[in-house]
Amino acid sequence: MIRFEKASVVYPGGVEALKDLDLEIPDGQMMVIVGLSGAGKSTLIRAINGLVPLTSGDVTIDDVSVRRASQRQLRRIRSRIGMIFQTFNLVKRTTVLNNVLMGRLHATPTWRSLIGRYRAEDVEIAMQALERVGIVDKAYVRAANLSGGQQQRVGIARALAQQPKIILADEPVASLDPPTSHVVMRDLQRINRELGITTIVNLHFLDLAKVYGERIIGMRAGELVFDGKGSEADENVFRDIYGRSLTADDVLESAAVA
Amino acid sequence: MTAATPAARRVERPSPPPRSWLGPLGMLAFAAITVWSAIAIGFDPREILADITRGSHILAEFFPPDFSFAPRTAQRMLETFQMAVIATGIGCGTALPVAFLASIVTSPGRPVFLVSRGVLSVIRALPDILYALVFVAALSIGPLPGILALIFFNVAVTAKLLSETVDGVDVGPTEAAQAAGASRWQTNRTAVLPQVLPHYVAYSLYVFELNIRASAVIGIVGAGGIGQLLNERRKVFAYDDVSMIVLELFVFVFVIELISIALRRRLV
Repeated sequence: MIRFEKASVVYPGGVEALKDLDLEIPDGQMMVIVGLSGAGKSTLIRAINGLVPLTSGDVTIDDVSVRRASQRQLRRIRSRIGMIFQTFNLVKRTTVLNNVLMGRLHATPTWRSLIGRYRAEDVEIAMQALERVGIVDKAYVRAANLSGGQQQRVGIARALAQQPKIILADEPVASLDPPTSHVVMRDLQRINRELGITTIVNLHFLDLAKVYGERIIGMRAGELVFDGKGSEADENVFRDIYGRSLTADDVLESAAVA
Repeated sequence: MTAATPAARRVERPSPPPRSWLGPLGMLAFAAITVWSAIAIGFDPREILADITRGSHILAEFFPPDFSFAPRTAQRMLETFQMAVIATGIGCGTALPVAFLASIVTSPGRPVFLVSRGVLSVIRALPDILYALVFVAALSIGPLPGILALIFFNVAVTAKLLSETVDGVDVGPTEAAQAAGASRWQTNRTAVLPQVLPHYVAYSLYVFELNIRASAVIGIVGAGGIGQLLNERRKVFAYDDVSMIVLELFVFVFVIELISIALRRRLV
């Protein structure tokens, strides 16, 4: 269970990205966060693994405080949380396998990672993660030589290799074309259902949010403005979240046509 | 314009930003300082033309190089090569972790970053020949002080170049490694090193080339290698021997350049 308690983030420039947020995310849920750019979606996701520190309040994971964690404790917390990024964040010059093995660093002694000799068990875990996203045949290919969709699947495999309890996905399909977006979202959905991993996804596109969000929360100016089932989120709700009427740019399929 | 132009598209064009005189003024100041320096030091290109023939009989002694002298250079040339290899190995090997300390992207903390940048600047402030002078005075004449001088110089140059390259890496993978629970050095090794490795190899090859060249200079103060022999021959006015050594150095550096071009092409 992830719990936000009066969590606030104020950036050095004075921007309040998160305002007194209270939120509970039970284990195994697939939750989608929607909102405009700058609404605080990324901040919310990064507050969970401490990449963005809170300025007040707290985030707890299974009653362990992220805010009060020491560096060592924070690494432990992060080792149980996989993260997927909009721009994939792969090391493009090295192999797919080496990228996925990053997910095993938390379980690898420093000397082993420095000489680049991972344990056989860890390589096996990485290979299985690649099998789960269907690109194990690319294990020894340079990451730079893959398509965008394939690169994002490497990103998912890297997160899976951590054997996480939680997966955070920050705009995972924003750099992908519509058909590939669905492939990646289905991968995430399958992982959530088959492995029971709590999955939190930031999305731009409302139709994707409705299809894949078991639960949808809406953010506006750092505050929660909607929290409900995907089926409950109709056009009025989205108008509220976005503060304006919907346009063709807000849905994936019409964006594809345009 | 025709009346068909849609009114909505007629957004007023912005006026260009005010012209900055900083650039032209800087250039002017630079030119003024150059002229002032030339006058102050009595730099006169006409002197070159007037004196060019005066040393011609000495210059003539450089040609042709005495090829029969070549076998006697082999020993010292090999020593130069060995000094350069040792210094490059130790110097560039040390520079790798130091460069990571000296970049804000990879450094474990701001104090460490500032101290390492500072130390590197101080080391770099002195040229290699001064290090050679110091080590020759402190130790003895021979290759050892030469190697030490080269190592100092190599660490400073390689770590500076590499740390600036590290400053410019894509930090996305760094964030990913941290999010996966990796420690600072695990992150540096897996997310940053692969990105800068080709640069590191290129810098090391460049430093090796610098070492071969530097050995000609530091040998003059007694720090071993081909420079020591060059200086001995120069003192006895054996200019055709000197030009033989210069020719060999030229070929040597050229070959290294060819090898490093080939290596870099394979790496990138």
